[in-house]
Amino acid sequence: MTIRLIGYSALYPTLRVIICLKELGLPYELEPPASYQSLKDEDYIANKHPFGKIPVLFDGDFRITESRAICRYLTSKYQGKHNDTILIPNDVHKAGLVDQFISYELSYYDPPLSKLVYQEKFAKKFFNKDPDPEVIKQAREELAKVLDVYEKLLEGKEYLNGEYSLADLVLCPGTNYVYGAGHSDLWDSRPNVKNWWNRLCNRDTNKKSFEEIKSFWENLGK
Amino acid sequence: MTVKLIGFEVSPGVLSVMMTLHELGVPYQIENPASWQALKDEDYITNKHPFGKVPVLCDGDYKITETRAICRYLVSKYQGKNNKTILIPNDVHKAGLVDQYISYECSYYTPPVAKLVVEEVFHKTSNPELVETSQKEIDKVLDVYEKLLNGKEYLNGEFSLADLLHIPFTHFIFSATKHADWWNKKPNVKQWWDRISNRDCWKKCVEKIKF
Repeated sequence: MTIRLIGYSALYPTLRVIICLKELGLPYELEPPASYQSLKDEDYIANKHPFGKIPVLFDGDFRITESRAICRYLTSKYQGKHNDTILIPNDVHKAGLVDQFISYELSYYDPPLSKLVYQEKFAKKFFNKDPDPEVIKQAREELAKVLDVYEKLLEGKEYLNGEYSLADLVLCPGTNYVYGAGHSDLWDSRPNVKNWWNRLCNRDTNKKSFEEIKSFWENLGK
Repeated sequence: MTVKLIGFEVSPGVLSVMMTLHELGVPYQIENPASWQALKDEDYITNKHPFGKVPVLCDGDYKITETRAICRYLVSKYQGKNNKTILIPNDVHKAGLVDQYISYECSYYTPPVAKLVVEEVFHKTSNPELVETSQKEIDKVLDVYEKLLNGKEYLNGEFSLADLLHIPFTHFIFSATKHADWWNKKPNVKQWWDRISNRDCWKKCVEKIKF
């Protein structure tokens, strides 16, 4: 039975799961909700996500929510089944460090990044609000400090945990948005970070996913 | 070689790791940094936590940071070795749901609860505006938890790491603020809290709390 993913590929938590499915070689069907407002419907809350969020994944009868939990579940169940891609190493110590880097993304990287994603990509087009320069300035400053730490973390390494892992994957969709929205200097001004981001952009799964999203935004204007 | 836990026995993250160590029957030593300010020292940032936080766990030569990552690592390595306690089930579907509930804790439960605890308990300031907004937010979250806990003793049916991670911050609400009634007025939530806060391992941790 095919995996069903409920969400919008333009929203980067959904895209996180899409990239994970692609990395593991898993076929899936994407089911966009009727509307963003429908996520607050009683039916959605009762049967899909109790907090009215996306993405939601159905694997047969099994339902799971929250993008990073979904990615861990998919990796746990399907890693190594369709291809050789390793997203979480089998070694308990290496896996622990991947988890640590996922926590860095969630706790330190994503908060300022998501503010920039909202301001640059969604505020005007979806909420008819002009981007707030003060919020953007503060978010850039916060993200710059985080990227200074990442610059050191990546010293002598190609990826956060040495080899490509879920820790790198989880921050790709959001980074792609902000990088392409006039803030590429934050990554490009730091040599290790720049090389790492270029490497991630050159992964087939990311190339394909970022292209699909580009078409979404281009078509939106029409 | 004994596990070394670096942090302060008042930090909810440190308390979560302590409880996990107790639950799994893993002996440990706790090492307090010199002060909270010391966490920003170059030496701490380079050798302990690159973002200047606690907890940090050293297991022999292995160092790992971030509360939930540390707890998952401990479960992965030690679950079933010293006792029969299961914090993350072996079944991939059940484990996935525990992960999901950990994400609910992290994304929806802890942010408003932590904000209030930090203000009232750690900074000891009174902020009626914050209390009002916190109550609205926490009430919405606890409404969801009330439904999630319908017909269940714990979030995923059996006690798991997901329930554990809720304990420390909630403990401070109950022991050091006047807002316990926000939890107690919801029957499933109240029973769940009574159940998880009465676990032996949590009681051992409470004895060690040092402000």
